Amino acid sequence: MGSEIIVVIVVATALIFDFTNGFHDTANVVATSISTRAMPPRVAVGYASILNFVGAFVSLEVAATVAKDVVSIHANSIGLLAVFGGLVGAIAWNLITWYFGLPSSSSHALIGGMVGAVFVAEGHEAVFFQEGILGKVMIPALVAPVLAFIVGGLAILVLYRIVGRLRPGPVSGGFRLGQVISGGLLALAHGTNDAQKTMGVITLALVANGTIAEDNFHVPDWVVVAAATAIALGTYVGGWRIIKTMGSRIHKMDAAQGFAAQGAGSTVILAASHVGFPLSTTHTISGAVIGSGAAKRLSAVRWGVAGNIVLAWILTLPAAAVIGAITFLVTRAFGTGAVGPIVVSVAILAGGSVLFARRSREGAAPGVVPVPESPRP
Amino acid sequence: MIATIVDWDALLQVVWVSLLAGVGVTAAWGLALLGATRALESGRDGRAGGAAAYATVGVLGLATVVAAIVFGIVILMGD
Repeated sequence: MGSEIIVVIVVATALIFDFTNGFHDTANVVATSISTRAMPPRVAVGYASILNFVGAFVSLEVAATVAKDVVSIHANSIGLLAVFGGLVGAIAWNLITWYFGLPSSSSHALIGGMVGAVFVAEGHEAVFFQEGILGKVMIPALVAPVLAFIVGGLAILVLYRIVGRLRPGPVSGGFRLGQVISGGLLALAHGTNDAQKTMGVITLALVANGTIAEDNFHVPDWVVVAAATAIALGTYVGGWRIIKTMGSRIHKMDAAQGFAAQGAGSTVILAASHVGFPLSTTHTISGAVIGSGAAKRLSAVRWGVAGNIVLAWILTLPAAAVIGAITFLVTRAFGTGAVGPIVVSVAILAGGSVLFARRSREGAAPGVVPVPESPRP
Repeated sequence: MIATIVDWDALLQVVWVSLLAGVGVTAAWGLALLGATRALESGRDGRAGGAAAYATVGVLGLATVVAAIVFGIVILMGD
């Protein structure tokens, strides 16, 4: 009975993480469409939510990577507590970085948290540092934003060569129409890569609980539906916050740049999802946006954002790993039953509420992918 | 060490697919816009041959975009 309660807590925690992922990343997905006026904000948010949901059903390769290739856990209560510790470590790190305004990545936090908790729970041999962490997480995480930068830059250069002599009015209208497609693909790609990370973690918990046999790995349908729903709801709710607070703050970019950036970001994320690389979608979209701006005018790019990505890349994995490890140890101190997860859940809820209350009083500014400022052609 | 750890086949696949699809599909959409805009202009100027040629470019550009997206999603759905 105790382990069943822990599974319920782990699944609920994972879905909350998924919801916050959608909530936080809505800005990245819809900012470009809104800033170029390709879509009204309400339509853009609703459209992104629906395609986030659909995207979660497209592939399961990333879920398999997260569940099988990064860590290995035994089917017992310690393994279940390790999954819980990893999830809470990721949520705690996201809360800390959000509160202090530090750059972060939810995806890296999730992987880091899992690695730290499993390392302490199961030993170093349970963490696949080389082929898993380095080969499937860290190197792709470094390559993806650079690749998106290059693709976004090349795409806008080619576009300007093709349409450069046309009258701007109809062309801008054409690119806004194109952004309905590219923005949809970006939302689909985001749902595909990010929702699958949660699916992978929930599946890992089900393996630890013995619900799924280790030699019969599969992601149950209800896990796919639950993860898809959580990220889509998060995107929708996060979108309403953005409509209220971000509408006037997004810098202008022309419709061709928006189209090129969304196209570049979505192709990199979808290609990576196909081979099972769990990317930071935020970093990848940022890379594409910066690339489409840099190709037009280097001074239009806020290079500090690129620095923030590097800083987040260096910080997030180890920091989330340490917090995941500490969370596991604290949870384990209460035994192997449900008491530890309940106490830690209450503590993280209370801590999160305090941080939200403080930030609300101080007037927090939500983050968004910065769009390079550039004149319309 | 890195050489043996990284799945180079998968990583290279991501690189070439992203470059091909990211640049190719955007260029195809640009050609669709070019074809549509020039076809309308040629039609207004009474140049039927030019309008037909540009319309063909536009249709081919649009067809390339649609085909690439459908192909990509079908490939992903097969995972």
